[in-house]
Amino acid sequence: MDPLGEAVMRRARILRARGRAALSVTALTVAAALSVGAAFTGAGGDARAADAAPVHYAMVAAQSHLEFIGTQAGAPFTGVFHSFTANIDFAPDALAGSKFDVSITLASVDSGDKERDDTIRGTDVFDVAHYPTAHYVTHAITRTASGYSASGSLTLHGVTREVPVQFTFASAASGTKLVGSAQLKRLDFGVGQGDWKSTDAVKNEVKVAFTLVLSPAH
Amino acid sequence: MPNTTVSTRYSAAAQLFHWIIAALIVVQFSLAWSADDLPLGSRKLALLAWHKSFGMTILMLAVLRLLWRLRHTPPPLPADMSKLERALARSTHAALYALIFIMPLTGWLMSSAKNYSVSWFGLFTWPNLVGRNERAFELLRDTHDALSICLLSIAILHLLAALKHHFWNHDDVLVRMLPWTRSVKRS
Repeated sequence: MDPLGEAVMRRARILRARGRAALSVTALTVAAALSVGAAFTGAGGDARAADAAPVHYAMVAAQSHLEFIGTQAGAPFTGVFHSFTANIDFAPDALAGSKFDVSITLASVDSGDKERDDTIRGTDVFDVAHYPTAHYVTHAITRTASGYSASGSLTLHGVTREVPVQFTFASAASGTKLVGSAQLKRLDFGVGQGDWKSTDAVKNEVKVAFTLVLSPAH
Repeated sequence: MPNTTVSTRYSAAAQLFHWIIAALIVVQFSLAWSADDLPLGSRKLALLAWHKSFGMTILMLAVLRLLWRLRHTPPPLPADMSKLERALARSTHAALYALIFIMPLTGWLMSSAKNYSVSWFGLFTWPNLVGRNERAFELLRDTHDALSICLLSIAILHLLAALKHHFWNHDDVLVRMLPWTRSVKRS
């Protein structure tokens, strides 16, 4: 073959290669655009679905735990409530419709000492004869850096006060868990009358902590 | 000259340990007896909070005192004491040493078993040694109570013996544990 012919053939091969490359780039661009479009459509669809439906959960009582940590004579002491119920409507992407409703049977208090439990149930502290349950219901739930924050009101000892709750939510194959805590001042609720009004022996600040194991209830 | 007095008298450190712990034990009995008959209330909790804080102070002092004692020989007992008297003195002292450990430890254990954690003057909280256990608590409380009677009896024996040495034997057994005194050399 003559040198001119070879040069023409080489040039033609280069052009064909460039053409294929250009086609490939075009195809990729179109594919990317399509998938981005699909993603946006998908996200829009999710948001619509979530607004409508947080998941309704019931609490697995045997695995759930509700405790309070008070400070008595300078040392922290922990007590639990054996009997409480929680109805939870929650989905991380449906916070507007999410809600907690928790009822605690105060007589089920257990601080590891019968004498102290009787005192807590008695007229000067919870007065369970008149106020057998405590009730917590949320108004709004917002996302925070480390989890979620709920604003809600706690009714205890006949008094209703705002108590924010911080919590995390984890849904895994092994189960759905809601873990959180709150700080409250017992005297805001009139918990501690007579001798127990003083904060020398039992501090005003009480921490409440909970682990709720949830199962979908619909 | 000063070296000869060191061996017959208790050192300043030994006296300090002895009298601080003795004073705290008196405070402990008065706090415990005041709190005993009270119903669960803020006054009882306050009294027992002091009792626990002083008790843990005694335990810490007991550790330091024992470490100190292991490195320092106490002055010898008077030469005219009989074998029985020596044995009695030694066992009384050993029992008192044991009790300044055992009393705080059983108190700490019983508080733990009842989930009434021990704070040290509100500055920090000692860890619970055992979990909640009503039966363990009752056993530990009874032990703590019984040992407190032992401690009281032995402490009274110890006190009477010291007075007997001073007023009957006219030796320096009492005086050598007293600060701001001088032992009179005998024999």
